[in-house]
Amino acid sequence: MKLFRLLSWQYVRKHKLRSVLTLSGITLGVAIFVGMHTVNQSVLSAFQHTVDRVAGATELEISAGEPGFEEEVLERVQAEPCVSAAAPIIEAIVDTGSPGQGSLLVLAVDMTGDRSLREYDLESGESAIIDDPLVFLAQPDSIMVSRQFAQRNGLRIGSGLALETMEGPKRFTVRGIMRTGGLASAYGGSLAVMDIYAAQLVFGRGRRFDRIDVGADAGIGPEKCRERLEALLGPGFKVEPPSARGQYFASMSQAFAISISFASVFALLIGIFIIYNSFSIAVSHRRAEIGILRSMGATRGQIRNLFLAESAVAGVIGSAIGVGAGILLARGMITYTSTYLRDLYGTAQRAETVTTDPPLMLCGWFMGLLASLAGGWLPARSASRVDPVKALQKGKYQLLSAGENRARRLAAFALGCISAACLLLSSSPWAFYTGYVLAVLAALLLSPALALWLARALRPVLRWLRPVEGALAADSLIQAPRRTSATVAALMLSLALAVGFAGVARASYRSIHGWIDVALNPDLFVTASPRITARSFRFEPEVETRLRAVAGVREVQAVRTPRVLLGDTPVLLVAVDIGRLIRTSRREPLEGDGDTAYRLAAEGKGAIISDNLALLRGLKKGDTIELAAPLGVLRLPVLGSLVEYSDQQGSILIDRSLYTRYWGDTSVNTFRVYLEPGAAEAAVRQSILEGFAGERRVFVLTNREVRSYILDLTDQWFGLTYVQLAVAVLVAILGIVNTLTVSIIDRRRELGVLQAVGAVRRQIRNTIWLEAVSIGVVGLLLGLALGALNLYFSVEMVRQDIAGIRLTYAYPWLTAAVLIPVILGAAWLSALGPAESAVRGSLSEALEYE
Amino acid sequence: MNKFGIVLALSAGLIQAQDAREIVTEVQRRARAESQRYEGSLRVIDSGGRVTDKSWQYDRLGSHGNSKAILRFTSPPEVRGVKLLVLNHPDRASDQWMWTPALARERRIALQDRSTRFFGTDFSFEDLEERDVEHYDYRLLGQETLEGHLCWRLEARPRKGKSSQYTRSLLWVRQDIYVFVQVENFVDNQLARRLKYGDFERVAGIWTGRRLEMHDVRRNSRTILTFDKLDYNLPMQEETFTLQALRRGL
Repeated sequence: MKLFRLLSWQYVRKHKLRSVLTLSGITLGVAIFVGMHTVNQSVLSAFQHTVDRVAGATELEISAGEPGFEEEVLERVQAEPCVSAAAPIIEAIVDTGSPGQGSLLVLAVDMTGDRSLREYDLESGESAIIDDPLVFLAQPDSIMVSRQFAQRNGLRIGSGLALETMEGPKRFTVRGIMRTGGLASAYGGSLAVMDIYAAQLVFGRGRRFDRIDVGADAGIGPEKCRERLEALLGPGFKVEPPSARGQYFASMSQAFAISISFASVFALLIGIFIIYNSFSIAVSHRRAEIGILRSMGATRGQIRNLFLAESAVAGVIGSAIGVGAGILLARGMITYTSTYLRDLYGTAQRAETVTTDPPLMLCGWFMGLLASLAGGWLPARSASRVDPVKALQKGKYQLLSAGENRARRLAAFALGCISAACLLLSSSPWAFYTGYVLAVLAALLLSPALALWLARALRPVLRWLRPVEGALAADSLIQAPRRTSATVAALMLSLALAVGFAGVARASYRSIHGWIDVALNPDLFVTASPRITARSFRFEPEVETRLRAVAGVREVQAVRTPRVLLGDTPVLLVAVDIGRLIRTSRREPLEGDGDTAYRLAAEGKGAIISDNLALLRGLKKGDTIELAAPLGVLRLPVLGSLVEYSDQQGSILIDRSLYTRYWGDTSVNTFRVYLEPGAAEAAVRQSILEGFAGERRVFVLTNREVRSYILDLTDQWFGLTYVQLAVAVLVAILGIVNTLTVSIIDRRRELGVLQAVGAVRRQIRNTIWLEAVSIGVVGLLLGLALGALNLYFSVEMVRQDIAGIRLTYAYPWLTAAVLIPVILGAAWLSALGPAESAVRGSLSEALEYE
Repeated sequence: MNKFGIVLALSAGLIQAQDAREIVTEVQRRARAESQRYEGSLRVIDSGGRVTDKSWQYDRLGSHGNSKAILRFTSPPEVRGVKLLVLNHPDRASDQWMWTPALARERRIALQDRSTRFFGTDFSFEDLEERDVEHYDYRLLGQETLEGHLCWRLEARPRKGKSSQYTRSLLWVRQDIYVFVQVENFVDNQLARRLKYGDFERVAGIWTGRRLEMHDVRRNSRTILTFDKLDYNLPMQEETFTLQALRRGL
């Protein structure tokens, strides 16, 4: 403690900037960890909150996936003696059209019986209005909104509220305002309640319900009631407590959660590197101090503990700040993330406030502390091993002994072999990730030796460029590999990650473009929502006939895309007339004969699944998939798999006739429209819009617009990746600045002597600039090489664990080409400060140094 | 009788005292009519003193547990055209459908929802049902003077297997004209609703209370129903009391 107060605290006070940088490393890591997980938890919690609030006293929910089921199911459920209350539900998310208000969750219920399950806590004095549900039911334009929503929009009883409906924008009348809290707090308070039979019309649901909320007879209990209802309804229906919906959402957004975990781990790694770098520099900087302490009797353990205590203190403080910064970060990201996930998965959640989770914050803080200790461990160990004699001899300590080099090479070789064995001999995720980590460790162990080798290789080039300055710069690197190895390693890792990310992004974009080109090739898409992923509105099948009659239209294909459960995971079912689909956008299956597969699929004798579903579920041609539909269990052989990006959890292509038969649902999400040769896209679009104007809600999207929408979603998905890339590169650059600063301090006497013997300032500057650029070159070469390996692991990770998408390995040469000037330019820029410091320092002080 | 069926809901049963059963049977016999029609005015006075008015026309074909009734709302304008079809069965709970003209479709009122309030009034949907004598067990508790008339005081309990929101009811029957004058409905031994009959008048030979006041004790709100243009045994067509007729707007 005494040592800490006398030495460490003085060092911190003297090097405030570096101390701040050290703290910022941990703060950054913890902030990203806490922030990202808080955002994810908040979105999940908002979804669960909406489910809970909407559920009210509901004990069981009966559903049959997104398609819902026929009304008659309600009577069967109500007739079951174990049911004390059964209320049908339709849920839809609609755009309010009000600026800044976004979407509104419309909960459609049958007010005659729903109040036995849900309490509509109404504003004082208005209860009679909704307590008289007759008016509410008799007027299909009746709507009840939360006070929060009413206040935001200046609504009162009797106010008009325009909402998008299947019949176009329609004015609803507010006939009830619910008090804040309870049901009214669902979906961030943007909740409206309307009559379910009016909602069937408004949202084009025919005579179907989304689900039935059930209250079990108190004498029988929900568990037994569940068993009875399952037996009554058959396997096509799920009878589960409301909380199950949260689990489905979590499983649907699993890819997002994995990405977040990956980003968090990456952020903590960056934090470790910053700590490692800062402490390595501190050890270099304070070697004389360490030498003196050791000479005065301080033990190795005391020196190690001193540095570990410093890293612990940095960890404690940095992590605490990081937790706070993480909450702020989460607040900044929550609305964006929530909206993005809603668009991506079409789920009813609206998160506007973050849910702080004390265990998560504690975990973040603890991980920050661990990361700090991990980052400080090697420098602390290195400090404890400083030879007091060498420590007082400039430069000696920077050398790597031949033994040390050999040990590192041997360790790297061993780890590389184990890594290769893991990958070759096992296909388990554990083996894969162990192989990944070991390969990176091997590269890290090899990096000092490789950096030294590369520095030697660079020496002639540098000499050729600048005979004196180039030689001095190269020698500085060659003589002090320990000084630069941390920076080179950090740069190498950062660039490897950058290459990995860029490669995955590039391959993803290329694959998605290829998929869009073939699969999404209609000229126009006629949808009931402005977003192609929204599912609240659906068309009646008759719309197809009218679209066919529009002049200039050659072909119309009706597509129904509900999410259904395959086992316990929601997947996307793509129901389309396959015979007609393949005439316009045929894609060859990845295995098997395409003609046979499509013929059998068109006859309803099988399903073609997406490649990612096949990979995630281990399905192959000939396997049988089982889909429990309301009208029977559909067992279909897998006829083949296709590259398909419609859903992260996978998709199943079946003929629409089969879907209609088993789900009893004839509604349509989207019509794919192909034009006659020579027909003007704008004119046909206008004709369709005019044909349905004032009658129903229709959006006509051009191929370009759909492509742009999908690519926008992809951009948003990779947006996080680009931030990570920027952070990685920034950290690498900070490492160069640190290294050069230490290099200048180390070489003050040498630089002073150079100036004394006649070297001009320009030469000194050039020396330092060249040294910086050389570090950049070494880091670049190693980073781009390790990037090739990292890309392999990243592509495999996407395939195996994130989305089951088979990406083509293609090195991102363009990114690499961009990184070269960026890193070299950044290296040069980072050398400007240290170089000026070197040339403007006092010559006499420099010569007195040491 | 009876307008709202509540009375009939309590008319019958296995009796511990033979007198009780005979009394209710006699009430039912005297109220018997082939059909009934009236124009009802409904006034709901909530606990805060807020008043809402509605009116409807009521037609009933048949009587006592085997009847069909249709209730057509006539005012206020927001609810005009809404109809409620009630098919009472002797051996089970009634079937009820509501017709909403603006949506041009019917909705079934579930059995489980019968305990909920009938469109904001203090009556429940169950109170609209007519139930047969066999649905209840009766017990004569004694005699009592109510509103200046000597009455029998009876207790009615739903028979095993007959669903009802009420665990028991107390009935007061005027001894002079065999009509119910008050019914108290209990849920788990707590008084839930009290129905009082008034303005008795003999119409087509049937004594009928033309004013019904239902007091929801728990909500402390009241609903007053008055019968105008009351008549019995008018000719009515069976086809009028069907879902198809509702859909056709009859």
